[in-house]
Amino acid sequence: MAVSEKRCVVSGLGVICAIGNNVEETWKNALASVSGIHKTTSVDTKDCYADLAAEVNCDTLDELECPDEKDRASKLCIKAAKEALADAGLSDFADSQRVGVIIGSCVGGVLSVEKYHRHGKNALEIPKMPIAAIASQVAECCHAGGIVTNVANACAAGTLSIAMACDLIRAGKADVVIAGGADSFASVPYSGFLSLHALDENGCSPFNHCNGITLGEGAGVVIVESFEHAQKRGAKQYCEVLGSGCTSDAHHITAPREDGLCLMEAMDRAVRNSGISKAEIGYLNAHGTGTGKNDNAEMNAFHQFFDAENPTLSVSSTKVMTGHCLGAAGAIEAVFSIKALTTDTVLPTLHYSPEDSEALKEKAGRMDYVQNQPKSKHLECVMSNNVAFGGTNASIVFSKKPGNIQCQTAKDKKIAVTGLGIVTPLGNGKERYLEAVKNSVQLQEPSVHSTITNEDYKELGIKMAFYRKLDNLGQLQTVSGVCALKDAAFTVTEENAKQIGIIVGTSEGGLGSTYDFEELIAESGNAGGSAFKFPHTVYNAAGGYLSICSGIKGYGITITTGPVSGLDSIGFSMNVIHDGQESAMMATGTDENIPVITEFAQKLGVAADSVVAPHAGANGFVVGDGSVSILLEEESYAQARSAKVYCYALGYGNGRKNVKFGKIDGSEGALDLAIADALADAGISAGDIDAVCGFANGYKKIDDIEKGALKRVFGDKLASMPVFEVKERTGEGRAGSAALAAAEAALLLSGDLAKDKAYYIADDGSVTAKEAESAGLKKILVISFAAGGSYSAVVFGK
Amino acid sequence: MNNEEMKQKLKEFFMSDLGVDGDVLNFDTPLFGDEIGLDSVDSLEIISFVDDNFGVSMTGVGKEHFQSIDTIAAFIENNKA
Repeated sequence: MAVSEKRCVVSGLGVICAIGNNVEETWKNALASVSGIHKTTSVDTKDCYADLAAEVNCDTLDELECPDEKDRASKLCIKAAKEALADAGLSDFADSQRVGVIIGSCVGGVLSVEKYHRHGKNALEIPKMPIAAIASQVAECCHAGGIVTNVANACAAGTLSIAMACDLIRAGKADVVIAGGADSFASVPYSGFLSLHALDENGCSPFNHCNGITLGEGAGVVIVESFEHAQKRGAKQYCEVLGSGCTSDAHHITAPREDGLCLMEAMDRAVRNSGISKAEIGYLNAHGTGTGKNDNAEMNAFHQFFDAENPTLSVSSTKVMTGHCLGAAGAIEAVFSIKALTTDTVLPTLHYSPEDSEALKEKAGRMDYVQNQPKSKHLECVMSNNVAFGGTNASIVFSKKPGNIQCQTAKDKKIAVTGLGIVTPLGNGKERYLEAVKNSVQLQEPSVHSTITNEDYKELGIKMAFYRKLDNLGQLQTVSGVCALKDAAFTVTEENAKQIGIIVGTSEGGLGSTYDFEELIAESGNAGGSAFKFPHTVYNAAGGYLSICSGIKGYGITITTGPVSGLDSIGFSMNVIHDGQESAMMATGTDENIPVITEFAQKLGVAADSVVAPHAGANGFVVGDGSVSILLEEESYAQARSAKVYCYALGYGNGRKNVKFGKIDGSEGALDLAIADALADAGISAGDIDAVCGFANGYKKIDDIEKGALKRVFGDKLASMPVFEVKERTGEGRAGSAALAAAEAALLLSGDLAKDKAYYIADDGSVTAKEAESAGLKKILVISFAAGGSYSAVVFGK
Repeated sequence: MNNEEMKQKLKEFFMSDLGVDGDVLNFDTPLFGDEIGLDSVDSLEIISFVDDNFGVSMTGVGKEHFQSIDTIAAFIENNKA
């Protein structure tokens, strides 16, 4: 890869937060040391010990298409995205596959959850609730037709979305990515942080009084573009985005490691991947939330990491200006970091008295914690850090000049599938799944769910002191993940803990737990939230628990964009391995079916009222769930430990035709694109595919899309090609089912499944089912879909 | 409510709200030990439960009073209005 091919540049910026509704206004106020923290006007503060927030003041948020169909988080994000696109001289992409959208969020459409629950359970609120709506609706407004997903790693999500955007561009998967983050201020996070006693009643005071955070809201968007693409169209180039680092603490679901060890590892990865020295970083926009635990861990990490080579580094937290904007924080701070870099100006941490400044000296040593007023300083590179619930650490570097980017260093390496962890309504563990297939177990109810029991924990050696903390989603993910490690005979040790990462794919993530929390505080008031339950509302809690339980300390993200997330986790994991970031990756798909999830499906009119089989032509599907974890390893890494290889992951692809989030009609052609993209990535043609693991669930609309695309892609060959449909036994388990389809492909290719029921699609569209042998299958295509018009495909081969 | 009832109520709270397995939770079982594994987040929940149900504030109270159901109950008993 030539240097220029690795270059990613920023060509547009957009922001909305408490100190401004656009970049110009926000930057002007930041330079004037304005804080956006005030008494909140939007949530009930009765009996609450803290009543401050940094809210957005904007009366034009509804000036967009169909405002009633969008949550405030989407509106904030679209506003910032439109500004960034206009700034970059871009507008409509006509569904181009080369343009992606990756948005970070923590609480997503939580205001719509509240509205649904408190105002008559109107079904129109449901599609606005999940985080997945945000990127989809941003894509819809500019017709981005490439990879569209959301990073759901709570407070680090904004930074990770930009990091992932660059990874995908450098992997050749996109030319332009609209990357950022969005979150709105709402009762659930307010009550949650109150219950944790993590709000500062006097307003946050990072690296200073450190009594807690103050919540904010907003969105930040940066247009990340390949250098070639920007150059070719003569685009403005603010700066380069160099390397990034992402790690997991494997420590605690809400508290960071006191020693800052994994934060240092994230910074180290960012510096190494950038090909720069630590001394080249002139300014560090810290996470700096204002809690004692965070700030002490960060200051400790900064000293250890920078003192030797860069002892006078300038550091600040901009959260006194914007509040803590959760999933938007990293994106807004990226805009600040880029403006700082391009104007040679370091922003300050506000509200230091002379006494505070004196006290800081002791903690700061020679490090330059910039206070109260901005400071002119020549800058070559800036770093922005964010950390999150679930133990996520993220670090990214922006620079005036190209670095020596480390990426795709393992592009030629084969990726082996070495472990499967399967949790479904059929039972837990690979053996139970194989048994159920062998015995042709059929669905008995129109709503089914997985169940974890103490026996599962006992079998896996998971202690009560750990599992007692898990919510349902965390239980499913922890058990499937640990099962996959066990199946692969992979022991996580101090030596390899940083060589393995996790990507969790989920459609609804913590939406069910968010709803539970909303029910709790609607009854008990915002002062009555639960510190025990609040962490489960963040979508990456499940992945965080798996990291804590297993000790996995490498790359760790949670992506959410509907059922396809369970396949995207595999595709993005392949990319992480090809980037040389990790030698092994746990790719998962996890979704739960707790009563409120079935309620949502029923309200939306997509839940069948009796059992339906795939291709039954019904008006709904069986609501199911599950968590499937798939261990992927770089081949030589797997060989070195004599691992059993099920099959190899050969390629992945995405396609999108924008339709409204919550809908799928009109998007059919995009599945063809995803398949073509995956085949090209694997370096094979449609003729090389022997079987398909599909996504049909019985709902005619969805099944017809699958049938239509397969017919167009495979032509006459389709009639004799087995199509395996895992949802006939587990129902529609969204990301869980997408990953299960991939696991099914692995089991067929390895011969663990000697045969299974397959569907054959005739030329006239009629479907017949009969048993198909797995012997002779060499390459299997796995496909999935998402509301909004996104499709993904993965190719597994012998 | 007598002392025994209070302890039973606390035990039920640990089981229903903090996910503790009742089989291994006796009134004298160390709550912050390896087996039960309570942490600072759980102590916030204990404080809130004790305040709501017994009208006793445990905010800022020394760790020794959180050792077991027995010690929490004793603290409540000694600090009741």
